[in-house]
Amino acid sequence: MMFNKNKIKKQKDPIWIHIILIISVFLVCFPLVFTIIKSTQSLVEVTTPSLKIGTSFFSNIKHIWIDYHMHTYMLNSLSYAFIITLGKVVLSLFAANALVFYQFRFKKFIFAFIIITLMFPIEILILGLFEVVSNAPASSFSEFILWILNPMELLFAPTKYGFGIGDTKIAIIIPFLASATGVFLFRQQFLSIPISICDAAKMDGVNSFQFLFRILVPMSIHTIGALTLIQFVYIWDQYIWPRIIIQHDSAQVIQVGLNAIQSAGDSIQWNLVMAGAFVTIIPPLVIFALLYNSFMKGYALSSNK
Amino acid sequence: MNQNKNAIFKAKVIPYLYLLPTSLVLIIFIYYPALKTFVLAFYRSNFILGTRKFIGLENFKNLFTGALAPGFIQTCFQTLAFAFFVVILGLSISMLLAVLTSEKIKGAKYYRLLLIWPFALSPAVASTVFSFLFNPEVGLVNTILQAVFNIKPGWLTNPYLAFFVAVFAAVWKNLGYNIVFYIAAFQNISKDPLEAAEIDGASRFSKFIHIIFPLLSPTSFFLLFTNITYSLFDSFAIIDVLTKGGPMGQPPFMDNVGMTTTLMYKIFLDGFGGSSNMGFAAAETFILMIIVMIITMFQFGIVGKKVNYDV
Amino acid sequence: MKKIVIALLMLSLSFTAIFAQGSSETTKSTVQENTPIEITFWHIFGDARGQWIEDRVQEFNNMQDKYHVTQENKGSYRDTLQASLLAYRQGSAPTLVHIAEAGSQVAYDSGIFKPISEIGAFDTSDYIEPVLNYYTINGKVNSIPFNSSSPVLYINTDMLVQAGYDRDWTPNTFSDVIESLEKAQAAGITDAKYTDGIHAWFFEELVAEQGGYMYNNGNGRDSRATEALLGGEAGLRVAQFYKDLSDKGLLAWTGKVEDWGGSDNIFTNEKAMYHMTSTGDINVISEGAKGKFDLNVGMLPIASGTKRNGTVIGGGSIWLTKGHTQEEMEGARDFILYMTNTDNMVSWHKLSGYYPVRKSSVEKLDSEGWFGSDSLQTVAFNQLLDTIPNKATAGALGGTVYDHRTYIEEALVKIINGEDVETAMNEAIVLTNAKIKEYNANF
Repeated sequence: MMFNKNKIKKQKDPIWIHIILIISVFLVCFPLVFTIIKSTQSLVEVTTPSLKIGTSFFSNIKHIWIDYHMHTYMLNSLSYAFIITLGKVVLSLFAANALVFYQFRFKKFIFAFIIITLMFPIEILILGLFEVVSNAPASSFSEFILWILNPMELLFAPTKYGFGIGDTKIAIIIPFLASATGVFLFRQQFLSIPISICDAAKMDGVNSFQFLFRILVPMSIHTIGALTLIQFVYIWDQYIWPRIIIQHDSAQVIQVGLNAIQSAGDSIQWNLVMAGAFVTIIPPLVIFALLYNSFMKGYALSSNK
Repeated sequence: MNQNKNAIFKAKVIPYLYLLPTSLVLIIFIYYPALKTFVLAFYRSNFILGTRKFIGLENFKNLFTGALAPGFIQTCFQTLAFAFFVVILGLSISMLLAVLTSEKIKGAKYYRLLLIWPFALSPAVASTVFSFLFNPEVGLVNTILQAVFNIKPGWLTNPYLAFFVAVFAAVWKNLGYNIVFYIAAFQNISKDPLEAAEIDGASRFSKFIHIIFPLLSPTSFFLLFTNITYSLFDSFAIIDVLTKGGPMGQPPFMDNVGMTTTLMYKIFLDGFGGSSNMGFAAAETFILMIIVMIITMFQFGIVGKKVNYDV
Repeated sequence: MKKIVIALLMLSLSFTAIFAQGSSETTKSTVQENTPIEITFWHIFGDARGQWIEDRVQEFNNMQDKYHVTQENKGSYRDTLQASLLAYRQGSAPTLVHIAEAGSQVAYDSGIFKPISEIGAFDTSDYIEPVLNYYTINGKVNSIPFNSSSPVLYINTDMLVQAGYDRDWTPNTFSDVIESLEKAQAAGITDAKYTDGIHAWFFEELVAEQGGYMYNNGNGRDSRATEALLGGEAGLRVAQFYKDLSDKGLLAWTGKVEDWGGSDNIFTNEKAMYHMTSTGDINVISEGAKGKFDLNVGMLPIASGTKRNGTVIGGGSIWLTKGHTQEEMEGARDFILYMTNTDNMVSWHKLSGYYPVRKSSVEKLDSEGWFGSDSLQTVAFNQLLDTIPNKATAGALGGTVYDHRTYIEEALVKIINGEDVETAMNEAIVLTNAKIKEYNANF
């Protein structure tokens, strides 16, 4: 499809390319095929080398869905991924809107301030973040004010007060809401918008909110798609932070729940583990399939300088 | 590029209001915890007992001298080795596959489809599947090896094999992501030089070296950064599910901690496990941050200059 | 691409349709149970033993409507303790936590638990002495014993007979073990090996059998431990046992430490003649051996020339976290007392092989003829009852038990891989001492 315009005479495909690609496809896809087949087998079949489709698929799924709380984890992970992705998109749109369409002081500084956070993913902050999120808040307002007005305590002592939201769903959502990647992508995209459109909008007298939602968002739909894809998968994959901050099954994410199937009891029930792995991969696969074309187009836009 | 070309609105307060939510989240949940992690490194803080005591540089001293030092130093070494292999293998394999599937060959579309789906894989799923495939007793790999060659390698118990099983799980997981970016980049680069080269009768190899590789370099540069952070941080789940940091190397080499213990995993163990000292773990975090900064600076300073932005 | 999307969507929809029933059930139950006091119980059992707990929870919930108990499996002992401490710091601690003997000091020091005897008197006279003693710290009963066990030696007697021994012979010393394995090997049974999960708990038990201490200050029982001994001479003898087994090619292991399931599999797949593991695995192993080979159980082997002291009581007890109303704590205690009552401990013992921790349960089992002369449980039980009460068999107390276990396991792996016994054990001691120093500096 990318050479559809060229007029060079067609050569025969070199066979080695096909060989390399077929081997690669086999290596890349086999583990997934294996997972799917094994998730259909019974406990007895699963540890044999047999690669025949079994009949236990629904009983395996039913088992993990109810006994291993996969339905809870699935709902939790889905809602986390959707809420955070939506939050990231909206917040990044706001920030990029200000960075591109407004003149104000410290613009470069604020942009750098946002981009530097790419070097500090949540994982590296678990110790500090754990205390900020889960320490109990100040017991009274005056205590809080005294603390916040004392720079030594506020900045240079171990965390005294936090939000007291450890082990809650909010603890997973809030720290992820901002996105340096998102701000960067939207900024790139907004900068590529022809000045004439901006001027026309201004002459029509649209206010900044209307400009953002009526003009920018429709123009950025593929960038939004690309960002949604990247962030949804990113949030779906989260593991260490939920493992530390969430203790109750009712708020846990699916990745940690999947590991729990493997850790339960003395001998591992691989049929259930494989069923769990299969179920866990479906939502990001759906999102990927839905947004892949959007991603390709969004990429084209953002790399147009 | 003129930064202000599109700056059509002039308002005193509104731009700050737009920036407020993002800034607040970043300050409270990124910058403040980063500062607090740094502060914690100067304390002995047992998470179980809830104690905190200022001890100056003792945690840092313990990283490099005394009984606990060899384990830390070995961990640093293997973390870098792990990152090196994951990044090099991940980028070269995915670039090769992306370029090959972009050739005008039969079925290119289907090859692409079958190679990019790992985009949806998570580290936990990838390592769960690998831990079954490579299980020494019931795993398919050993069942086949035993039937054909009558050997039964301890994939997850031999330190070197376990290290590379973890590397390959990490590479497999990230393959889709890398290939997707390379394919997207390939679709957007100018085809003129390639066509010219083809008319000149350039070989595939020389086209790749002289034209494709330089044209893909901005994407490689971007992927280098994301893959480094991925291998240093997100690989936590792979280690936690697959090996729990073990197994240890054969004495006298690499025998201070498990060979798949990465810094991220050790931070977790020292901070929240055993007889915890969160301060010690914070000191380790600080070292990891410095490693990330050095790599980033190196990348932008040296590699960055060679990147071909002339697209 | 579109077809795939639709197919995947259909698939996920079908899940929802199939299990809509399951999830609606859960929503209904949360609505109904708004009034009773919620009690949460975190434990480590995921298999049939987890189901047994769930059944007791259901019974208790059906018996009364003042409390509503929920149980969650939190993985290993380490994970469960970690999760509870994390949850407590976050203000969402479970009411009841299942903690292993090794976590006792840490749990005690953490200050997040309330000694169970402080919320009102309850009858402790029915508990077996050695079990209750372990969980009594500073004269107070801290927690309610639940699953108590000690390791025993499981024997594949078919192999033993082929090696020329009587079916009911059991090895008494380390050298008996090695000698009988060598004879079996000589008789052509190449799978005649020794296996265990390479868990430092076994190491500790073999040290206690010889009367050795893991820590100074009376094994950490007189006052807070300040130095690691890791068994001293006794520890070296145990390490030497592993070295001899490994050097002679008589050790089978999965290559993974703390591998309970893996070592069980080695044994039940007839890849080992001896297997040391918890009495709590007695039923798993009998099931696995059924139809394959004859099983016997022997006491732990001891080092030649040492006196048998007995074993440390291992396993878990149930702790109560602080910060609940008196009513909730009483309800929590009543639930645990219900779960561990005479009849339930009988069924628990039959299901799992863990010791019935109540005297009345033992009597009941006895009157049923459970402890017949050929019963596998009898050996384990006698091993416990014959234990000489002293500080070695009381078990080590220390905040660094989980650390020293890691280091001992690392040392054993090194020894199996060819490292010299003394060097490896010294390294473990040095590392544990560094951790003890760190830990004690908190006080």
